[in-house]
Amino acid sequence: MDPEYWAKAHGAATHFPFALTLVSGALDAAGFALAGRPVVRDLHAAGYWTIVLGAIGTVPAVATGLLMTRGSVLGHGALRLHHLCVWPAFALLVALAAWRVSAGRRSTRPALGGYLLVVMLAAGLMSAAGYWGGEMMVAR
Amino acid sequence: MRSLGLSLLASGVALASAFAFAAVLRRETALSSRQQPLAERWLEPRTLTSPELVARGRALFLDSCAHCHGADARGDEGPDLHDLQVSDRYIGHVITHGIPHEMPSFAKKLGELEIGALTAYLRSLR
Repeated sequence: MDPEYWAKAHGAATHFPFALTLVSGALDAAGFALAGRPVVRDLHAAGYWTIVLGAIGTVPAVATGLLMTRGSVLGHGALRLHHLCVWPAFALLVALAAWRVSAGRRSTRPALGGYLLVVMLAAGLMSAAGYWGGEMMVAR
Repeated sequence: MRSLGLSLLASGVALASAFAFAAVLRRETALSSRQQPLAERWLEPRTLTSPELVARGRALFLDSCAHCHGADARGDEGPDLHDLQVSDRYIGHVITHGIPHEMPSFAKKLGELEIGALTAYLRSLR
């Protein structure tokens, strides 16, 4: 199939996990900051589902990216920088979602604080990956 | 602790699945284009470059490559060589070994220094 098709599909697919992770982090951070108020439970429930959907959204994002580059996991130049950020972000996002599913509502406040730090790290890596991905699109 | 173990396992499985899918795609692509598959490395040495080396590479390119890839390297019979996303090692590998039925081997014509100069020239193309 035309690699341009996969490039367009990758551009469309990557924004879902990126946006969902950022929103999830913001919702959980708000819940963390507003501890003790009635809205906290709803904020964490929304944060839970958005991180799970974000992790599920990485599957089409990664698959279309690999199809576009014909299986390159590193490459050169901007593609390499993109990949060096993408793979840790992908692993972290899956780990975060798995932790939320596994821990359920039993997580303690210190654990949630650590979780939020890792979400920030994943969001930062995804932003950097998005930047280098955008640079490649501009270069085209 | 159990949750942490499960999350590490999940991310490991996800990464392994993605890399396995990538390996299948690389093999299929290499077979369909007749190129020799070359494993990607996390740490790749970069070819040293300088204006003199780029000029030397351009002269070599015009002498050995331009009749297929075009004098401006925008492609003719061979592909466009601007903004290549493969490693320096892979560029050297293709120059040395060629691609069966598509590109001849330049192993007898070009040594390590010449390939380094050609790579520096190709990297200068934007």
